[in-house]
Amino acid sequence: MEVRIKRADFLAELMPMQGIVERRTTIPVLSHILLQANSDRLQLASTDLDVSLTSWCEAEVKGEGGIAVQARKFLEIIRSLVGDEVQLVLEDERRLSIVAGKSRFKINGLAPEDFPTLPTVGEEEKVELPFTKLKKMIGKIIFAVSTEESRFQLNGALFKLKDGAVEIVATDGHRLALVENEIEGSRDNDGVLVPRKALQELQRFEDEGNITFCRGEHHLSFSLGKRELTCRMLEGTFPDYERVIAKDNDKRARFVRKELAEAIHRVSLLTGDRARAIKLRMSPNQLVVSAANPDLGEAVEELSSEYEGDEFHVGMNPDYLGHFLSALDTEKVELELKDENTQCIGHPVEGQDRRYLCVIMPMRI
Amino acid sequence: MASIRKLPEELIGKIAAGEVVERPASVVKELLENALDAGAREIEIELVAGGAERIRIRDDGSGMSAGDAALVFDRHATSKISNFEDLLEVETLGFRGEALSSIGAVAHVEIQTSDDAGAGVVVRAAGGLVEPPEPRPRSRGTTVEVASLFFNVPARRKFLKTAPAELRRVVEVVQGYALARPDVRFSLRSERGTVLDALPAGNGLDGLKRRVAQLFGEELAAHLAEVDRSPRPGTSIWGFVGDPTTTRGRRYFVFVNRRLLRDRAMMSSFYRAVRETWHGSEFPALFLFLDLPAAEVDVNVHPQKAEVRFREPRVSSDLFLAIRRGLEISLGEVDAPLTAAADLAGAPLSWQGEGGRTKASLSGSVSAETGDGNLAAELHEEALPFSSSRLAEISYTPPQRTPVPLSGRSGAVRSLRVLGQYKGTVILLEGSDGLYLIDQHVAHERILYERFRADLDHDVPESQRLLEPVLLEISAAEALRLAEMAADLEGSGFEVTSMSGGTVALAAVPAALRPSQAEKLLLELAHGGGDGGGETGHLRERLLDALAASLACRAAVKMHEPLSADQMEAMVAELFASDQPYACPHGRPIVLKMTDRDLESRFGQR
Ligand SMILES: Nc1ncnc2c1ncn2[C@@H]1O[C@H](COP(=O)(O)OP(=O)(O)O)[C@@H](O)[C@H]1O
Ligand SMILES: [Mg+2]
Repeated sequence: MEVRIKRADFLAELMPMQGIVERRTTIPVLSHILLQANSDRLQLASTDLDVSLTSWCEAEVKGEGGIAVQARKFLEIIRSLVGDEVQLVLEDERRLSIVAGKSRFKINGLAPEDFPTLPTVGEEEKVELPFTKLKKMIGKIIFAVSTEESRFQLNGALFKLKDGAVEIVATDGHRLALVENEIEGSRDNDGVLVPRKALQELQRFEDEGNITFCRGEHHLSFSLGKRELTCRMLEGTFPDYERVIAKDNDKRARFVRKELAEAIHRVSLLTGDRARAIKLRMSPNQLVVSAANPDLGEAVEELSSEYEGDEFHVGMNPDYLGHFLSALDTEKVELELKDENTQCIGHPVEGQDRRYLCVIMPMRI
Repeated sequence: MASIRKLPEELIGKIAAGEVVERPASVVKELLENALDAGAREIEIELVAGGAERIRIRDDGSGMSAGDAALVFDRHATSKISNFEDLLEVETLGFRGEALSSIGAVAHVEIQTSDDAGAGVVVRAAGGLVEPPEPRPRSRGTTVEVASLFFNVPARRKFLKTAPAELRRVVEVVQGYALARPDVRFSLRSERGTVLDALPAGNGLDGLKRRVAQLFGEELAAHLAEVDRSPRPGTSIWGFVGDPTTTRGRRYFVFVNRRLLRDRAMMSSFYRAVRETWHGSEFPALFLFLDLPAAEVDVNVHPQKAEVRFREPRVSSDLFLAIRRGLEISLGEVDAPLTAAADLAGAPLSWQGEGGRTKASLSGSVSAETGDGNLAAELHEEALPFSSSRLAEISYTPPQRTPVPLSGRSGAVRSLRVLGQYKGTVILLEGSDGLYLIDQHVAHERILYERFRADLDHDVPESQRLLEPVLLEISAAEALRLAEMAADLEGSGFEVTSMSGGTVALAAVPAALRPSQAEKLLLELAHGGGDGGGETGHLRERLLDALAASLACRAAVKMHEPLSADQMEAMVAELFASDQPYACPHGRPIVLKMTDRDLESRFGQR
């Protein structure tokens, strides 16, 4: 292998690879990136066996071939070099020389055969949508994805296609977030579970174009420009979420999102591991947020609301409400409530999405 | 002093009854055994008020002739043995001929029965008075109805628990026999409806597995590994042992010749096999059958026949080997490290684990001797001749820079010196008699646990509602146990409602627990921790213990977290001032010690 490449182009493709690479892996090759030169491209690939990323950049290829190099060191080197161009030459099977300006490196690597074969994803189902739209949707639900490993079917989000729309849902058993928007050419399916890591990596991408989503038998792929992210679908059944979206919450209160978020943040400074709940006391046109912690003390804050109903109160984990409020992009937010035992349903007032809501289960305090 | 006199017959009956009949569950046990001995294929049990008001058991077994029926209430009347030789080869469940006479002494009993030939007869007894038989037509089989148990022994009646508590004990008994005989149909009803109905499931391993699924749910049945071994002709050990996901239930059932036992020696073979195979102290579900020639076992040891003696001394090692094989299969692989450990060159240093010992004793009661902090004395248990050990001969006092006062509760101050931290994870201490290693995470966990636990006594734990109730499949007995605990569960943040059959729905959990922890804790409680299994009295304590342990685990310093010397000293000092410095709330060891002897033998100085 012998190639010349533009350093800036190369770096742009190299950076996202790093997110995929396992930091604490026991399989050494998984901390590597595979580089492969053929015809006019240098191809890159990284994987943790569940989620993989491939990409390429244009190159002047004088000799084909490949090597797997240690991801973090390699990225540091390329980033630190000066000059517009980098030359990569395979010295022997396991040694790569890097030349740029007056610097020369010779780094050890692994043979490309040692790198895992990446899955090829079929096209049983295929849809296309603007990437910026998808990225926003992911940002609106990802906080609700469970991090508890024993509940593996909740360690991802449900992507469900409907006729002319896509719905993304995440839940950790305490709260649930759902967002839905129109897309062209989709037909009803029963949904697939996309692992959290794949969602996180997608969120890091910057691109104005369309992303193509394909579903194979066991894998999914997201292609965006030169990049293709593939992942194994999570197995398991996702909860019947429409059922938990209560329809009979008769108390509706509107708030200025920023005011509510800030009040909750301040009051929650006095919550801790042993007393994590805040109390929301609703009365006509007023909300009182409070927290009491045996270790720390108490906090109270009042703010105005558009609310007409009876006086009542409900306990809640402030993080759950906070995550939702910071994912929102509207000026106002509405909370639908019923009583202290019933779920709170939050949604934007005059939002851009066809449907966006977050269900939060209350706490007893 | 009163003079000696002969006791009236009625009193003798009551005293004898006390040995056999303790509560409704023991009545059900005796009647079930009789039905099975009579070859029943279908047994129906009905209870009112947990059996205290009425127990009715109907079977389709051989029944009795009018002549035999007239004798059933006589003490030591039995059709099952007739001479001493028979006693040595008992193949039936009953043989003492005491049950019906005992029950007849303390309740109103009515038996309707008919054998193949007979036209049917009914006999009655109440408080030891037997009425003559009367004809009553009936199809083949027997129905025994026991009403007003202990009506004439108020002291006993007073000791009966609430109806759900008694019912739960009956369910446990019925489960035992239902496992022993998967080929027989068992149904149990109370005034509230069907508690359990297990259709005939067939014989052998397959039948047993289906029966386990009927009683405890498919989930458990899917996590069982086969045990199947015939060490000698005529003897076989078979059944199932669970994989590590089945440890929460305390479902241990051991049968000898289809007789459910709680034999200590047999259980200890099981415990030993688990410890040696899994190196853990949690035990999986066990459904184990030992079948061997009747002449080789003596079941006549205990009036309630819960223990046995074997004529063949190898039985316990046979059991051990059979169970161990099953455990290996249930782990999905045969345990290789066991043999590799013998390879000295590659083996890690082995040292005496303080916590290891503590952990073993934790399962009984928290041992007082490890609690009181006399580290040196505990460590030098049955010590090898120390005089020959050169390192130990050097009387060494650690440099005085930072003696950490390890007072413990005993108050005896000894000084250990902090040497440093290994990989941001283990604190190393030097003592006059060896090298101490402290796991910083579990040490901190123990310290916080004691602090949080004390606070929880006067806090009300927060409760988080769940988006969708978690449905748990448990046995009927477990569901009843949870019903008994409802108030305490609610007080600690659980909201549990029972659904049809053995399913319960978990709608809210203590906020301090992760969902899976909450589920696990609830299942443990449902099955009743403690080997006695019975009491729910310390429930609130146990719940709060679990909450404190979970909070402590989360708040404690993690691994790979560098600590300053001052921080380490403070932590070690606080650790040894705690109630139980040697094991974390989950039973993991905190302190390991390498003695001088260990070091010497490793360095080849001996
Ligand atoms: N359900 C039954 N079906 C047939 N015979 C029974 C039944 N219950 C009791 N008997 C007869 O009554 C006898 C006495 O029963 P019991 O007092 O339980 O003593 P044991 O079971 O020890 O023989 C039994 O030996 C048996 O012959
Ligand atoms: Mg009997």
